[in-house]
Amino acid sequence: MDNNTTSFGFKATPLIALALCFAAFATVPFWAEKGLVFLAGILMLQIVFALSFNLIFGLTGLVSFGQAAFFAAGAYASAWLSSYAPDLPFVLTLAFGGLVGALLSVLIGMVALHRASGIYFAILTLALGQLIYTLIGKSTALGREDGLIGITRPNLNFGLFEIDLSRGDDYYYLIFVASAGMIVSLWWVWHGTLGRTLSAIRQEPERIRFLGVNVRRYREYAFVISGTVTALAGALLAPWSQIITPMIAHWSYSALPILFCLLGGSTRFWGPAVGAIVFAGLEHSTRNMFGMAELIVGGALLFVVLAMPGGILGTIALLRQKILSPAEGRPSDE
Amino acid sequence: MLADFLLIAMNGLVWAMAIFLVASGLTLVFGILHILNFSHGGFVMIGAYLAYSIMNLGSGAVGIVAFLGLALACAVTVGAMGFVIDRVVFKRLKDVDDSYSLIATYAILLLSEGAVKTIWGPNFLSVYPPKGLGGAVFLGDFIMPAYALFVIGAGIAVFLVLDFWLQRTASGKIMKSVALDPWMASLLGININLIFTVAVVAGFALAGLAGGVLAPNQSLSPMMGGTYIIQAFGVIIVGGIGNVRGAFLAAILLGLIDAFGTVYVPSLPGVFFFVAVAVIILFRPQGLLSGVR
Repeated sequence: MDNNTTSFGFKATPLIALALCFAAFATVPFWAEKGLVFLAGILMLQIVFALSFNLIFGLTGLVSFGQAAFFAAGAYASAWLSSYAPDLPFVLTLAFGGLVGALLSVLIGMVALHRASGIYFAILTLALGQLIYTLIGKSTALGREDGLIGITRPNLNFGLFEIDLSRGDDYYYLIFVASAGMIVSLWWVWHGTLGRTLSAIRQEPERIRFLGVNVRRYREYAFVISGTVTALAGALLAPWSQIITPMIAHWSYSALPILFCLLGGSTRFWGPAVGAIVFAGLEHSTRNMFGMAELIVGGALLFVVLAMPGGILGTIALLRQKILSPAEGRPSDE
Repeated sequence: MLADFLLIAMNGLVWAMAIFLVASGLTLVFGILHILNFSHGGFVMIGAYLAYSIMNLGSGAVGIVAFLGLALACAVTVGAMGFVIDRVVFKRLKDVDDSYSLIATYAILLLSEGAVKTIWGPNFLSVYPPKGLGGAVFLGDFIMPAYALFVIGAGIAVFLVLDFWLQRTASGKIMKSVALDPWMASLLGININLIFTVAVVAGFALAGLAGGVLAPNQSLSPMMGGTYIIQAFGVIIVGGIGNVRGAFLAAILLGLIDAFGTVYVPSLPGVFFFVAVAVIILFRPQGLLSGVR
């Protein structure tokens, strides 16, 4: 009985942590200064970016080094459309960003998954991502290297009433609600039939192929879902930061979600979110020390890769197991 | 017309040999250890900054012989760093997935960028070409900077030395045998751990050498490592990872494609390189030449 309550207590901890995070993000505009609210908005979008990336990285087991291309595609497509046709409803602008991201991920997925695997897949997605980066930086309609500036925050028209998102913290709450919605969808994909199939493909691609599953098709599904959600997160970013530059398509931006996933633990759904939050904290506290950011981030990443292969969440789970059952010794292979 | 054509081709070749200098060490390390070293570009950058510092100890520009000696000093220093990194990091990456070690070495790239920023600062620095190579060479109506010809010569020299070592000498052949089958090689009494260390130190020394030789090729900035490594990745993957001859061929091929593409479609510089990489990998996923050579 006693034992049961302890393990129940441990089981409830993640839920409590999740609820605390949710509450914290929901109340940021009430207790934080403007700069911090802005960073919290960016952080939520980066969490969605990382969680959607982990669908191909942690779940399907493919290292893609070109995810920023989809983020940038969504951001640029929606920003371009909103300046080209300012009267269009915001929902359509967002959807356009997602659609462009989806099409791009179909294309890149077809090319990159065609024959390449492992390290070749990583380098090929890197090259294709850099191609998108170079194209954006050279295209006049997208502002070349200077990017697009003065992106306006739109009105949300519900027919009966209207919300002006340029006022106060309204757009922050739009990001909050949209991110929550996307995270719930990703959770559903991760834990549903599709997610289980993808996880099986990561562990035993050959065996799953013998079972009659079209492995490449499923990898493409994962790639496209991940690219589309990433593009939607990018589309939400444009009106929030009101300026976008080609840097969000650069390969170093593609490395961010990989970093978040490994830091937090890529085999767990919430791992990338933990990684993104911890990383944001690290970055914020080192922002005034020039050159220090790279040293700390690089050092942390190297330490995690060499010493904590399960990331933060994996290490916590391991420690918990040791505390709960110290007598059993090594955990079983399962 | 012919002179224009030749000039474009020569520009492509200069780029090709510069990137080959960077890619040679990268492909050597991958061939033996199966670690794709993301930080390689960072150590090329460190080599270039070292060359800058050593040169500024003296009066700036130096003669060709002194310049070569300086590049060798960079090679030795960065090779020594490679020894430390082999002991601390690479030894632990032998049994993990290729893509996992890619991420570990990406962390080292970040560390080297941070180190360069803290030691040398964020500003652009420039290194003079060696005395005697500052001018231009005239061949009829064809003009090339002398330093550009020096880069081409250096690239070809490094290729010939590496190729001779791997194909014609006993130690090079031992190297190749370890790359093909480390277990079998160890049964035959080869100290494979020593060979792994030699490969890493040689790879890093090549990075330092490339940094020293290429220091006058562009202005130095903390972004330099990232730029070089992306292009070198393209070259070695097209050449067939681990294959030095393949990297040499791929560098020339991609250099020419990009040089001519940029001249004929000037609005899109740099795009042809990535398009060529994608197309070639689509049709030859294993690269132009595969296997370790």
